[in-house]
Amino acid sequence: MTTTHDELESLLADQPANGTDRGVDAHALYQRWENQHWAVGELDYEQDRAVWAGLRPFRRRELMHSLAELEVGEASVTATLSSLIEHARFESDQLYLATQIADEARHVKFFQTYLERVIGMDVAAETPELRARTDYAHYFDPELRRVTRRVHAESGNPVAWQAASTYYHLVTEGVLAATALRTTRQLARSLGLPVLDIGLTNVTRDESRHISFGFLAARRAVSEGRGDALAATYTEAVELAATVLVGPQTEQPAPVIRAGLEQRAALLRAMWAVARDRVERQLRSVGLPDAAPATTNAFDRAVGRALDEYAGRWGRPHPVRSVQQLT
Amino acid sequence: MDSNVSAQVRKIVSEMSPLDGHTVTSADRLMEDLGLDSMTLVELSLVLESEFELGQIDDSAPALVTVGDVEELIGRAVSDRSR
Ligand SMILES: [Fe+2]
Ligand SMILES: [Fe+2]
Repeated sequence: MTTTHDELESLLADQPANGTDRGVDAHALYQRWENQHWAVGELDYEQDRAVWAGLRPFRRRELMHSLAELEVGEASVTATLSSLIEHARFESDQLYLATQIADEARHVKFFQTYLERVIGMDVAAETPELRARTDYAHYFDPELRRVTRRVHAESGNPVAWQAASTYYHLVTEGVLAATALRTTRQLARSLGLPVLDIGLTNVTRDESRHISFGFLAARRAVSEGRGDALAATYTEAVELAATVLVGPQTEQPAPVIRAGLEQRAALLRAMWAVARDRVERQLRSVGLPDAAPATTNAFDRAVGRALDEYAGRWGRPHPVRSVQQLT
Repeated sequence: MDSNVSAQVRKIVSEMSPLDGHTVTSADRLMEDLGLDSMTLVELSLVLESEFELGQIDDSAPALVTVGDVEELIGRAVSDRSR
């Protein structure tokens, strides 16, 4: 496959803003899937193993944290897509969604293979605990399971279906995964991990199809007059996403040297800003630009509450709060 | 300033720099000359704190530009601690 990093970056970054995917339908996304295959088993994990072995503890910890959040997210979306497939209103949507569940399984396999072959984890034995410690598992996964179960319980009621797709395609994939994939790919490149970079690039290409489908479904709901319900659900899901990004369950290394603390806080704030920006672009792209101010305010308030929760959980302020208190 | 502390700081900075075969001096700028990125500056802070067993330090410098800035900061923190 020949997609370059830059093309891919713009694919993910610009898609919601410029609406280039407006003409794409579920048939076209199915076609893209046929043309964009890749295989977990084709990557040469040995290359990264030597690099990992030489990484300093701080870098290992940063990378492990990112990989754990990505792995648990992939496992969660693999387990919950079936209700959206079963209750898809159009056959073309159903065929597309059936390709997506195979992608998600491939993503779980990729992260697990990487953890096993590069990092040397015993995935079967250690994954449950690794997942349990993540903020996605703590805050978002139970809600994704709740909204997708509701699609079954309400026999495919279009409002319930759209709510589940909102949590799934727009927020888990379009906000959280897109942000995490971008920051983790930057990390992979700066640490010199070529196989991780290739794998994440492949995952990102798949995710861009998934997110395109999310836009398609959301625009349809808006055009059918269900925009208000969509905006309300979207805001709830975005609040959860902001909480996951702050990560109250994960203790942050907080330097006492002020310059280090400021750098730490700036890196985290930059990541949150990427996610917040995606929220704004998505709302514009699905035809709900008027909902953007209220939703981004909700995002900011959720960040504030998550920072409070962090302080309660760990008995000291989050690095971003510590910096705010210094100034 | 304690020259052992300064030498130790330069050694740690040198280990974190991606540049090979460069002798780190106090005048080198961490980012521009030695190629440290933001994440490495966070890491450097944590490693220095652990290496020199620093708890709270009196530090109002929002940025450390040169290796000399780091030497000065750590030198001061170490002598404050032993007082
Ligand atoms: Fe995925
Ligand atoms: Fe996906």
